[in-house]
Amino acid sequence: MRSAGPDLDTAFAALADPTRRAVIRELVREPLRAGELAARVNMTPPALSRHLRVLREAGLIVEDGVVHDARVSLYKVDLQALAPVRHWLDEVEDRWREQLASFKEYAERVHASRRKGSGINESGAAAPTRKTSNPKVSSRRRGRPNRRSTS
Amino acid sequence: MSTTPHRPPGDQARITVSVAVPPDVAFDIFTNDIDRWWKRGPAYRHAGRREGIIRLEAGVGGRIFESIDWDGAERVFEVGRVQVWEPPSRLVFTWRNSTFTANQSTEVEVVFVPGAKGTLVTVTHRGWSTLPADHPARHGMPAAAFIRSVGLWWGELLTSLRRQAESRGSLAP
Repeated sequence: MRSAGPDLDTAFAALADPTRRAVIRELVREPLRAGELAARVNMTPPALSRHLRVLREAGLIVEDGVVHDARVSLYKVDLQALAPVRHWLDEVEDRWREQLASFKEYAERVHASRRKGSGINESGAAAPTRKTSNPKVSSRRRGRPNRRSTS
Repeated sequence: MSTTPHRPPGDQARITVSVAVPPDVAFDIFTNDIDRWWKRGPAYRHAGRREGIIRLEAGVGGRIFESIDWDGAERVFEVGRVQVWEPPSRLVFTWRNSTFTANQSTEVEVVFVPGAKGTLVTVTHRGWSTLPADHPARHGMPAAAFIRSVGLWWGELLTSLRRQAESRGSLAP
């Protein structure tokens, strides 16, 4: 069963173990069956099953397929459970995305008007075909950036 | 750990934009005209709604700072210092939010690469995992404590997760 949301304390406790971190690292690359996974982390399947249970209960991994048969179940990382962590860096990127959009708009406008005004290619770079029109300035977002909704 | 001398890539934000100007113009405008394009308002500047300017001083050691008219008196808030100054291709500066203590800092690298239609400008903002878990810059999110505690290893994983999510285009289960 999927838990309603990630309990980060539980998730942290689950990851405070090198074997379980190795499991997550492998599963981020690709979903694996328990047997393949055990081989990747150098453990026997019975020894690994305890770790898989901890990760499952922490909501970090999910099991696809025949639930009661661990041999054929496919294990995957639960991206949804880790969304809050990702969301934080996404916010930093959102901020820079806005600044760079503003930079682009300004730079292109200034560059176009300088060239138009002076008739000189200031950069000195070869420019056989010149754009003469200034692309329309896109509407600028004001105020706080929109938060990406992940739920 | 690995052969790369850099931090694992996961504790960084990275954004690229294509700008229809040559690299030298892009570099010049990015630095000299920063006050003209850096967005205004409380969400983007320490000045908030007050009058203020942002400056990025040329050359290694140059300051990035806001000068704010604070009820008639000038207040200066230094955001960081230039560490690498390689026009027209590369710029690195330190970055501190107002909530950082003196020894806390992150790093911003800006790379200008010539492209078919001008310049590809990439900003990489890294070093977030070096901040204490309960740091206000992290909005007090428990997730941040999580990142910190698991350490740099987490960064690598985080990057993979984000790429996966991007390639899937959605987080919907």
